[in-house]
Amino acid sequence: MEINVGRFVFKEVSPRRYVASVALSELREAVGAVVMEDSYFSALTAVDLPKDGKIELDYVFWSIKHRVALIIKVTVDRNNAVVPTVIDIVPGALGGELEAYDLMGVTFEGNNRLRRGFLAPEDMVEKGIYPLRKDSGV
Amino acid sequence: MGLERVKAIKYSPWVMHFNAGACNGCDIEVLAALTPFFDPERLGVKLAPNPRHADIIIVTGALNKKAAERLKRLYDQTPSPKFVIACGACAISGGVFSGSYPVFSRADSVVPVDVYVPGCPPRPEAVIYGIKKLLDKVG
Amino acid sequence: MVVVEIPIGPQHPALHEPIMLKVRAEGEEVVEVSVNTGYNHRGVEKLLEKNSWVRGMYIADRVCGICNAVHMQTYVQGVEKLMDIEPPPRANYIRTLVMELERIHSHMLVVAVMAEVIGFDTLFMMIMRDRERVMYLKELVTGNRVHADIHMLGGVKRDIDEAKRDKILKELGVIEERIKHYKKVFETDYTIVKRLSEAGIIKRSEALRLSIVGPTLRASGIKSDVRSDDPYAAYPEVPFNVISRDEGDSWARMMVRLEEALESVNMVRYIVEKIPQGPAIPKAIPRAAKPGEVISRVEAPRGELLYHIISIGGANPYRVKIRTPSFLNILNTEKVYIGHRLADVPVIFVSYDPCISCTERVVVIDEKNGKKTYMSMRDLAKVRVE
Repeated sequence: MEINVGRFVFKEVSPRRYVASVALSELREAVGAVVMEDSYFSALTAVDLPKDGKIELDYVFWSIKHRVALIIKVTVDRNNAVVPTVIDIVPGALGGELEAYDLMGVTFEGNNRLRRGFLAPEDMVEKGIYPLRKDSGV
Repeated sequence: MGLERVKAIKYSPWVMHFNAGACNGCDIEVLAALTPFFDPERLGVKLAPNPRHADIIIVTGALNKKAAERLKRLYDQTPSPKFVIACGACAISGGVFSGSYPVFSRADSVVPVDVYVPGCPPRPEAVIYGIKKLLDKVG
Repeated sequence: MVVVEIPIGPQHPALHEPIMLKVRAEGEEVVEVSVNTGYNHRGVEKLLEKNSWVRGMYIADRVCGICNAVHMQTYVQGVEKLMDIEPPPRANYIRTLVMELERIHSHMLVVAVMAEVIGFDTLFMMIMRDRERVMYLKELVTGNRVHADIHMLGGVKRDIDEAKRDKILKELGVIEERIKHYKKVFETDYTIVKRLSEAGIIKRSEALRLSIVGPTLRASGIKSDVRSDDPYAAYPEVPFNVISRDEGDSWARMMVRLEEALESVNMVRYIVEKIPQGPAIPKAIPRAAKPGEVISRVEAPRGELLYHIISIGGANPYRVKIRTPSFLNILNTEKVYIGHRLADVPVIFVSYDPCISCTERVVVIDEKNGKKTYMSMRDLAKVRVE
């Protein structure tokens, strides 16, 4: 089964879970479209994939209109993990972006509240370590 | 002079609770221990309104590094004679979080500990027993 | 006007995790609130990558002591999908029983804390006394007062029998009466209604953008509850009402929880009376999961709890993301305090049922002369600045 959200097609991967993979340049448009489906931002998962040299970001929304989870997937180069922010579209995503920055080292352009030490301890911040990266040594 | 002050604690120990990165399990049992159902006031135990009034600090949690800094400061602010109870598996050895990157794992690596109350979490009766043990040790 | 910065945090006399709220106020009016975190970070997600699927259950459970069964449920139901296991119906009922008992105790706890924050010490003590009955039931069913640890991959660890069922039904009668009484107190007591009404209103139109969840969301008029929208465990079969209110203020948030606690009492009654026969305890413990990905959602007492679990096969997870309801409710509501009086800050904060509570000690810094005064949370709740 599929759900059309704007010009994006979300495919069912399991009951009540629909996924659409989008390009980095389409991220903000996709988030804007999902928000129109009476949804709220639920979680942002950052996954380190060193074998592919990438970090995958999964934006999980719950749509009250469709009663399903709509998941937007984007990937970014792990050596240049810069992604546009979405907190102007969904202020609720603030914590998710702060966490992904502090623990995984993904920078969200346009989010001026990013800071190290949001969760990570001082010693990790001083050494420039992002604990959730697979090569953090932690 | 020291003995006189220690005797005063024995009959009315005021307790301060500090959560150093705990899951709240120990915290709600410490809280429960301070309610009339378990009646800590029979030992003269009361919650201290701030560290300057505390005789005993009960520490819970795996000693998150940021919280540990504050614990140290709190400990230094508390006037002597002062005692520390490490409450719960996390405060004793880190519990399931032992070795995790943002925690020190052991309360006694941050402040001197007088009594260890094991459990995950310890029952309110065990917490009160721990306080009693401390009072016996001190007296 | 003097702008006062008031750090609220991070140690509470009685409970909850530490957090720091920095409140800037002009006279008595709140101008800005920012939330400082990091005091409770334990590196759980990294720990889950280093431990086996089975050990992960116990780590997940200890993310929160107050709502531990829902954490285990979210983790276990996700992992079971990756292992292609379906727990037997009786096990699902027992899991649901424990989760609803947890909901009752958790809601009673926050109602007690709210009473304490506005100065009703006696009410706080009374609710805590009655809450002990729920803790007794938790111990009866799971063997523990706090950490239920009832889940196993493929079922539950313990079963209930007729004797336990009878004890549960008996205690429920008393618990129900007491909660009804507290509901009446919150509805009719002049001071409680006055203090809580209109404090921290979150309008329906803003609620979704702020990503608030749970009773906090439902008190703003949106009937969203994971148990009915995305059902799991025995919820497809256990009847209940989704409670919501329209006021969107602190009072509505507390009333939603009181009404939900009564719904939970009915659910527990239904479960022990109608629980299906059959096995509940699995024989073997599976060790390895297939490669795959699952997003597991559960309605914790504080709101939607989400685990995103990724497996590449093998004995350990590759990645586990945990998003707790308080992560959304606390961080996203900084602007709600603005324009309120200082004394409303603890009330609004507690109305979110933070699984991270602020603390007793507050430092008030007078900008003019740099003088520092220590205040207790309770005193902050009474502040009147001339």
